[in-house]
Amino acid sequence: MNKTLLGYVPNESPIYYIHPFVKLFFLLIVSLFPLFVTAPEWNIGLMLAIILLMWISRVDMRTLKIYIPIAVSMGSIILLSYTVLGGTHPEFELIVRIIGVNIYWERIRDAVIVYFRILPMIFTMVFFLTTSRERDIIVAMRSIRIPFVVTYVFAMALRSAGMVLEDFQIVRQAEQARGFDPAGKSIAYKIRQYVMYMIPLFALSLRRSEEFTNALVARGYAFTGEASRIKRPDYILTHYQFKALDLVFTVVIGLLFIILLVMHYGYNFFGMETSWLIQLLRDVVS
Amino acid sequence: MTTEVSSELTAEQIWKVEEGERRSVGVIHIVILALLIGIGFVVGAFGSISFPLGFGVNFFWTGIAVQQVGPVWFGGWGVLAGAIFPFFSNAISGTPFYVSLAYVPANAVQAFLPAWVFRRFKLDPRLRSGRDYGYLFLAMIVSSAFGALWSPLVVLKGFGLLTADSVPLFIWGWFGGNVVAGVVFNFILLKALSPVVIRTTAFVKRWWS
Repeated sequence: MNKTLLGYVPNESPIYYIHPFVKLFFLLIVSLFPLFVTAPEWNIGLMLAIILLMWISRVDMRTLKIYIPIAVSMGSIILLSYTVLGGTHPEFELIVRIIGVNIYWERIRDAVIVYFRILPMIFTMVFFLTTSRERDIIVAMRSIRIPFVVTYVFAMALRSAGMVLEDFQIVRQAEQARGFDPAGKSIAYKIRQYVMYMIPLFALSLRRSEEFTNALVARGYAFTGEASRIKRPDYILTHYQFKALDLVFTVVIGLLFIILLVMHYGYNFFGMETSWLIQLLRDVVS
Repeated sequence: MTTEVSSELTAEQIWKVEEGERRSVGVIHIVILALLIGIGFVVGAFGSISFPLGFGVNFFWTGIAVQQVGPVWFGGWGVLAGAIFPFFSNAISGTPFYVSLAYVPANAVQAFLPAWVFRRFKLDPRLRSGRDYGYLFLAMIVSSAFGALWSPLVVLKGFGLLTADSVPLFIWGWFGGNVVAGVVFNFILLKALSPVVIRTTAFVKRWWS
């Protein structure tokens, strides 16, 4: 199993036949798709396509569970924001009036459209995080010639996030061993106690910065001055080759985006006027 | 890696580069940048997941501690980290890629302003006087106000994610979430750790060294 940024993926996953740059390109380009698509059915289709890609990549689908509360809370907030906090609009079609709050059809429609725009963007990010290892991100960055120092900082940041999480567990266990039990306490109490985690976390990280620095200096790393200008062998890149298949994927993703733009701006496609799902919703709420 | 500094340093002396004192960007600053991004990633994600209002806006954003305390100690490195780490912590909590990217200016200002105030007015990071507390609080208010206006008005409205009527909820959510968390964490962290940090070689007197 390979540990990715958000879970585990088997070594044999087909995703590892693809160059990490393609995954980064997918994230950057496909995240833009929903911005040009209003009809929810297309965004739902995109979301399902990403879920299919995750399944093909043999991602542990249980990872998605942590996003269920986020999706639900985000959906509720969008709906509340558009309906209850949507204001008074006599020009809109009133569906129902609940405790003095006017619920309009246009607001419900807009909430649904926005929600289904957000979901595919989230799924694209989750797909990237669940299939990418720290190493993949570094390779992707080096492939597009991002400077060594930037790539190195990025890699160290990802590594240190893991260390901070470990430190967090250590601090928590140490406090529990001293009798600290947050179970059943109020949120205000838990927030107050959270300060007790922050100070040791910061202190541990500051100490680690010295250990990190000493280790880097001992290995001859330098990010400024003469030593930094020495050309470094990109050893890790030698393990990855940008193959014909990767080129095909990159071109397909790029072409799909161009087609999307042409259809959207040239033929007014993906709009809500032609959406059968919006029409269905209209019939349901009327 | 500690330097011999008198414990009775005045606020003015903390920021003053003494004659003959050589300060330069070193490996430790790059490491600090990475570590701050790492801490911010974890701490910020905790806030984003625990108290979400939506689209990376939270009722209590714990990441503000790293974003505002880090730059006070580590200058430009802290500001860079403060602008970058929310991108990761938001991503992990389900905020779309381009929305996170558009938040960068707001986060950069939130990180920059307290650091600038401390350097400009020669405040003591150990918070020894009411003036130190007052200026820090003011910087937190102003910088969070900018972030609160930029993010819902420019970013979320720009992406068509909010109605005009619901913008105030997000403005107050961002502002309150940052200021309350800042009040809870920033003062305590500065008070508790500044005496140690200002003695380390990682401490940044100017902006980069």
